[in-house]
Amino acid sequence: MKKEYIYSVVFVFLLSAVLTTILAGANAFFLPQIERNEELAQKRAVLYVLNIPFQTDADVEQAFAEQIRTASVDGIDLFVQYDQSQVTTGYAVPFQGSGLWGLIRGYMGLSSDLDGLLGVEFTEHNETPGLGSRIDEEWYKEQYRNIPIEDGQPVLTDDDGDRKIDSITGATSTSNAVIDIIGRSASNAVETLEGEL
Amino acid sequence: MDQLKLIFKRNLWNENQVLRQILGICSILAVTNLMINTLVMGLGLIFVISFSSLTISLLRSFIPHRVRMITQVFIIAAFVILVDITIQAQLPEVSRALGPYVGLIITNCIIMGRAEAFAQKNPPLLAMADGFLAGVGYTLVILFISFIRELLGFGTILGFNVNFAGFETWTIMVMPPAAFFIIGLMVWAASAMQLSRQQTQKPAPPASSVGQQASR
Repeated sequence: MKKEYIYSVVFVFLLSAVLTTILAGANAFFLPQIERNEELAQKRAVLYVLNIPFQTDADVEQAFAEQIRTASVDGIDLFVQYDQSQVTTGYAVPFQGSGLWGLIRGYMGLSSDLDGLLGVEFTEHNETPGLGSRIDEEWYKEQYRNIPIEDGQPVLTDDDGDRKIDSITGATSTSNAVIDIIGRSASNAVETLEGEL
Repeated sequence: MDQLKLIFKRNLWNENQVLRQILGICSILAVTNLMINTLVMGLGLIFVISFSSLTISLLRSFIPHRVRMITQVFIIAAFVILVDITIQAQLPEVSRALGPYVGLIITNCIIMGRAEAFAQKNPPLLAMADGFLAGVGYTLVILFISFIRELLGFGTILGFNVNFAGFETWTIMVMPPAAFFIIGLMVWAASAMQLSRQQTQKPAPPASSVGQQASR
């Protein structure tokens, strides 16, 4: 009886040793590639919100090397865009907020004098596939291009009080949440950056 | 060979894991609104179930009976993590679309079901074939469901636009409940077909028992 217990323990111990070794090996093998995928996704997002065109991964790396530098303001890691004469032309600032199902994260581009929202990109969300997840579609994100910022607030409504951003049919909650997140994050970012300029 | 044929028929139709055993439903609701995601999920499951069945069958005479379930979960989990890491590295876009669902293959009752019901008492290659075919049976069903959902919900097939003028996409097809409706109809159709075949195979029952069946 006692022998049986010992056998069970030894068996499970050996099995876990073998399986863990295999998994650790696979993880070590794929980790550089996974990290590179994540880094590229982040860089693509930054270039997209600053409206810098790119096609291939090589374009992304080149544009990043030539125009983008990282900076840290008040503990927020952001990206600063420079032109050829080293003059700041824009900022890419991370944002996050609650969507319908979970956290929505992304980047927003701000002009150098903080009077315009250049674009937004979502890097992480859990919205309903096919409905809320359509915030990833080009037509939706393009609506946030070149929105003026007045008194530290992005102008997302026109003079009649109508929204400039079309909502997604069947995903009203996500649409409202995104407008809310962008508005709030943009004014926070402007406030933070203004103090530094 | 006869045994293989039996396994083939059983997993794909007679005892199809989804249509007859009603297993693996949770994953079906989540991933069947686009065919491409469904395909990746199906292939992931086929890989995991084939190799976990093989491994469990190879180890079957060493696994202590007392801890066999832990051992099975352990082996299944290892293969699931392998699939998850591989997809993250090679197909980052698909990984993003599937989110946590790849990791949740481990909770798919079909894999554990085959391990308990078949792999732990049959030779390795037969167990692997059983796992593989059970996975294929599952994948065919979910592909069919996602075909209907993607066609009506997005107007596309595997991402290709087949929308015709005047066609309004059905929002309900994009939402998880659509899979409930479709799967319900499929289970009903499969049961009805198997029932009617059983009845035609049997000699005509005496009149009294027909009456009993009707009154049930």
